[in-house]
Amino acid sequence: MVKFFTDIYTATSTILGGMIITINHLFTAKRGIATLQYPEERWPRPERDIGFDHGSYNVIRSRLHVDMDDCIGCLKCERACPVNCIKIETSKAPERGEDIKDVKHIGITSNDSRKAMVVTRFDIDMTECCYCNLCTYPCPEECIFMTGGPNSKKHPIDYEFSEPDRSDLIYRFAKPGTKEGMEKLLNDDNKVEA
Amino acid sequence: MTVDFIFEGLNQLFPSFAGNDIFLILAMLLPFAGLFGFITIYGFGVIYSELKVSSFIQDKIGPMGQGPGLHAGKWGLLQPVADGLKLFFKEDIIPASADKPLFILAPFLIFIGAFISIIAVPFGEKIIVADMNIGIFYVLGIGSLAVIAVILAGWSSNNKWALYGGMRSAAQIISYEIPAGISLVVVIMLTSSLSMQEIISYQAGGLFNWVIFDNPFMPIAFVIYFISALAETNRTPFDLPESESELVAGFVTEYSGARYALFFLSEYANMFVVSAVAATAFLGGWQSPFSDFLNTPIWSMFWMISKTFFLIFVMIWIRWTVPRLRVDQLMHVCWKVFIPIGLFNIFGVAIWTVLRG
Amino acid sequence: MGLVHGEEMVLNIGPQHPATHGVLRLQVRTDGEVVSQITPYMGYLHRCFEKHCENVTYEQVIPYTDRCDYLSSMSMNFGYVVAMERLMDIKVNERVEHIRVVMAELQRIASHLLCTGVFGLDLGAFTPFLWALRDRERILDLFEFTCGARLLYNYMWVGGLSHDIPVGFVESTFEFLDYFEPKIDELENILAHNKILVERSADIGVMPKDIAISYGVTGPNLRASGVKWDLRKNDSYSIYDRFEFDIPIGEGKKGTVGDCWDRFYVRILEMRESVKIIRQALASMPKDGDVHQSLPKKIRPPKGSVYARTETPRGDLGYYIESDGSPIPYRLKMRSPAFTALSVMDEIAAGWLLSDVLAILGSLDIVLGEIDR
Repeated sequence: MVKFFTDIYTATSTILGGMIITINHLFTAKRGIATLQYPEERWPRPERDIGFDHGSYNVIRSRLHVDMDDCIGCLKCERACPVNCIKIETSKAPERGEDIKDVKHIGITSNDSRKAMVVTRFDIDMTECCYCNLCTYPCPEECIFMTGGPNSKKHPIDYEFSEPDRSDLIYRFAKPGTKEGMEKLLNDDNKVEA
Repeated sequence: MTVDFIFEGLNQLFPSFAGNDIFLILAMLLPFAGLFGFITIYGFGVIYSELKVSSFIQDKIGPMGQGPGLHAGKWGLLQPVADGLKLFFKEDIIPASADKPLFILAPFLIFIGAFISIIAVPFGEKIIVADMNIGIFYVLGIGSLAVIAVILAGWSSNNKWALYGGMRSAAQIISYEIPAGISLVVVIMLTSSLSMQEIISYQAGGLFNWVIFDNPFMPIAFVIYFISALAETNRTPFDLPESESELVAGFVTEYSGARYALFFLSEYANMFVVSAVAATAFLGGWQSPFSDFLNTPIWSMFWMISKTFFLIFVMIWIRWTVPRLRVDQLMHVCWKVFIPIGLFNIFGVAIWTVLRG
Repeated sequence: MGLVHGEEMVLNIGPQHPATHGVLRLQVRTDGEVVSQITPYMGYLHRCFEKHCENVTYEQVIPYTDRCDYLSSMSMNFGYVVAMERLMDIKVNERVEHIRVVMAELQRIASHLLCTGVFGLDLGAFTPFLWALRDRERILDLFEFTCGARLLYNYMWVGGLSHDIPVGFVESTFEFLDYFEPKIDELENILAHNKILVERSADIGVMPKDIAISYGVTGPNLRASGVKWDLRKNDSYSIYDRFEFDIPIGEGKKGTVGDCWDRFYVRILEMRESVKIIRQALASMPKDGDVHQSLPKKIRPPKGSVYARTETPRGDLGYYIESDGSPIPYRLKMRSPAFTALSVMDEIAAGWLLSDVLAILGSLDIVLGEIDR
């Protein structure tokens, strides 16, 4: 009998206690709101430079970007990728460190290393990318990095890289025509030698 | 009452056609249309407030996108309309193995049950569709129509989850009719009438004449009635028939589109009915809390609706606070707690009335 | 219960069901509401983690460990790097150790918050779940502040960390802890002592000590059964031996020792202990130190094998790594704590009602990503 009434008492008091907590949330709602109205408001991003020169590089894991003028085609990022989403093809440059005008190849990187290779294909399949950031560390030229992406002017930090066509998610960083240009160049060289 | 009133009004307005059958049909249809419009608007209002109250309790802001305002809408006022439109335009799926006639019948049955209870709800001294001399009895009786619809829905879906939901609901609603009835019996004993209007007129004369303050047993009866009403309308903590984390969606698992919307709307209509009965029986109905002050017909509607909405708000508030009971605990609470206390209450009130003379 | 028997019905809970915490299928035999037998079927999320690891280099394993227990990725990283450092005999500097402990304990709070919130959700209380997620978001913000990722971090590396903590991290974390401690009380008041929740969870699904031990259940589930066993104290790894904290165990305050309520409450108590550890670790963290200091140029461990276990939010996580001297692991085996927790399901949940089975499942705090691997 005593248990009967203590049970009723504890049930009432704990449920009323809970209701007081919730009503407090209801009436102090303005202070504790956790929602952000997404397209209008955005999360404040940590402002931080971790030592690379790229000004836009905050610690952020968004889409990958490659600075093709600096890429020497060393394949280190391709090897570091756990899901093999980076595909690189290179062909040997005729002269180490020389610009090749036909394919807009710049011979010397911003770190003053002379390129021995012309990158004819640099594809990153963002549908496969697991955003682990492992490819950015081995890069000797610090030219592959995660960023807000090409749209970063429009949206400084860019989540919205959805595409209507899935094949558009394969980012092709090599300059268009490089492959054909290099083939033609090499064929021409062969002809000259012959 | 209202039907007669309109009929006579029409007769007086067009004396040459007096006694026409069309007037009678019109007199019946007008309150019906009024009630239907009221239920729809009320449904939108209460769904919106449910969304907003739950959001503020949960530290969110709730719907903001729909409705008047800027591109994002300031308050999301039209969110329930958008929800309703979405549901009505969705494909209506009837499972191949379902019992088709029963499956189709169930949502209408539950909606009719909720809808025709409202005709006995008084909004003012004259503002009531049908002032029956057994009003409160009628509401209780019609209220149990819901259980048939829920069992039909659960059985005809031919789905194990729906079956569980239907069976739980049957047990729950039938059990909780008893404490609800017992606690209303106490009110009937005091007012010695089953008519809603007479119950209300017993409580005339301000706050302290309300039944709930009549004697020390009445608050207990009110609490028992209110909790039983929660159980009858399948609200948390008694939402076992549709407990989403156990039974997927209970008896509405297989319903979609407009049929689901009917279930949804009738839950809220049921909430209105039980809250209105609670307000009528315990909180003075349409009577102003300040005796004769602000007791005109318009104000009486205001008082009735605000009392009802306060109780609905408490229902929403409870829903977003507490966990859900288990089936056997639900029965335990009903049979071993509410019914003994309710019976004791009848006894106590009887002695109280005798002693008071 | 069960005086009247009827025909038994087979009911599939899942793989798409709101209460199975992922893609788990529980095949239950029920007689009315009473459940007589439970058979968990898993593998819907199997990704060949162990076989996969035999094909990638040691550093590439770390992103895969993230994805096993996606609710406590930091702890999964931590276990792996502890194993690898033991295999390669690397000593990392003080700052790295402190940061690792802070991260792992923040992750423990985040994971337990989700668990307690979801337990409430399984029992029908929706609001505490969203409050728990709100606070968890703040922890994820801290992680994003540090390493840019919110869920799958790849933060702890063999011999160091991927990034140093940013400027202002310590202050933000202290600020979060000050904000968070009253919130634990709130969560406890609205959930733990609520009479309905107590009725729903106390004395339900009791896991006695001997059953817990014989099934190999670890972590909070084991501690709720009254065994004081926490690898942070019992088999101290990293620098956990320096910090003062208690190991909360289930005391059967509302029912029997080892019931659902104990498993739920132990997690709330552990959040408080984690707060204590984080405060101490932040206070004693050295100001300078390079987090890349002892990072090996190339991870090529000597021939041999290692087994290292750490305490994740779900229990005893073990990595067995067999190395043949190449940069690719010869064999990598993970001992998953949630797997053992799920296997005890039939033992403790048979005979209860259908609603209780889902409460018990919620209290065991399983993550299917880790069970299926």
